[in-house]
Amino acid sequence: MHHLGQTGLERGTAVSSSVSPTGTEHGDYAHLAALQRRYAELPATDPERQRVREQLISGYLPVAEHLARRFAGRGESLEDLAQVATIGLINAVDRFEPDRGANFFSFAIPTITGELRRYFRDHGWSTKVPRRLKDLHLDIRSSQTQLSQQLGRAPRPSEIADQLEIPMSEVIEGLQAGEAYRSSSLDEMLGEQANTTLGEFVGDLDDELAIIEDREALRPLLAQLPPRDRTILALRFFRQLTQTQIAEQVGISQMHVSRVLSQTLGFLRERMDTSD
Amino acid sequence: MAGAAGGVGQTGVTEVYTAASAIAIPTIRTVAADLAARADFDLDSIADLRMAVDDTCTRLVRLAACNATLSCSFAVRVERIEVTAEVDVNRMMDPLPRGSFSWWVLRCLADEVTALVLPGEAGQGGRVCIILVKQALSAGLL
Repeated sequence: MHHLGQTGLERGTAVSSSVSPTGTEHGDYAHLAALQRRYAELPATDPERQRVREQLISGYLPVAEHLARRFAGRGESLEDLAQVATIGLINAVDRFEPDRGANFFSFAIPTITGELRRYFRDHGWSTKVPRRLKDLHLDIRSSQTQLSQQLGRAPRPSEIADQLEIPMSEVIEGLQAGEAYRSSSLDEMLGEQANTTLGEFVGDLDDELAIIEDREALRPLLAQLPPRDRTILALRFFRQLTQTQIAEQVGISQMHVSRVLSQTLGFLRERMDTSD
Repeated sequence: MAGAAGGVGQTGVTEVYTAASAIAIPTIRTVAADLAARADFDLDSIADLRMAVDDTCTRLVRLAACNATLSCSFAVRVERIEVTAEVDVNRMMDPLPRGSFSWWVLRCLADEVTALVLPGEAGQGGRVCIILVKQALSAGLL
């Protein structure tokens, strides 16, 4: 069971969690086929069209989520993958032509998986990195996720090397390559959506802030942070969870937690120091 | 640079001297992370050390006197790394006031944090130093 399973995806949607897009297409999705034809018939200017489009997208969302899950455990967070899959789904909904007689799934599944593959290939890397290193990096991240669960802590490079049966020097090379890897580019592209449940979970930070002497300068800055970034900061520095534990709770990768923390600390440092 | 290349369990000291400039900081934090990875630190500890070194160096660079040199030494010991970063300053001030948020953050990222302010000879200016100790395995509280 992948630990990222229950986070990120359920927000804003009420969908059944046990969906097999290939097995149930004639059951759960039958009503969507009629909607699909209606969507194709409506003229582009009809306000009804937008509503139908949204119904189609939310109706087929479990398919996108199912496919995203198949790509999980390769170093990308399920949350990111679900967003990419949703983009693929939107493209599929918009481009599908029902009068050609094809089944929507036979069109949508390759469109969505194509989007996921392209994401792994293009968006994850900020610089040109040789394919061998990309693959190595993905193997390492996937091994990291597995080992973190087995060990109950972040693995050491030697433990990853043992599991992958590669020399430790290669693990270090792959970790370095990871510094060029930026899955957050997707967040920037789509805009962050706050995980409000987690915000509530952490609550306000008054008790925790009591130990900080310059808390009055800090408080308004914390309020400016996106809720999820604030949550991650609080979990690391006030609850004192490790990055790996936070990654598990928030449903993103440890690398992503690390990146959020660095950015947030940089933001706070800059503004705290100029204020005194 | 000298020292701790290659192999689990190998110890030694690596020293990096740069201009006290923000431009040097990515290099310094990469050295720290690389040494920690080669010393087989767990991935959380590597990331924490990288962040702690980034934070420490940024603070020192801001305090640094004109044309000062930022000196960083990374001593790889058994299951831990000791980082000493120091810089000449014009104005004597505690880089890490106890109870401040920055002090709290570094205390969470590293296992031990010490800030030293050493007065200069003429009573003006001096040297500011931050010492971090990071253990190879991170233990989170749950």
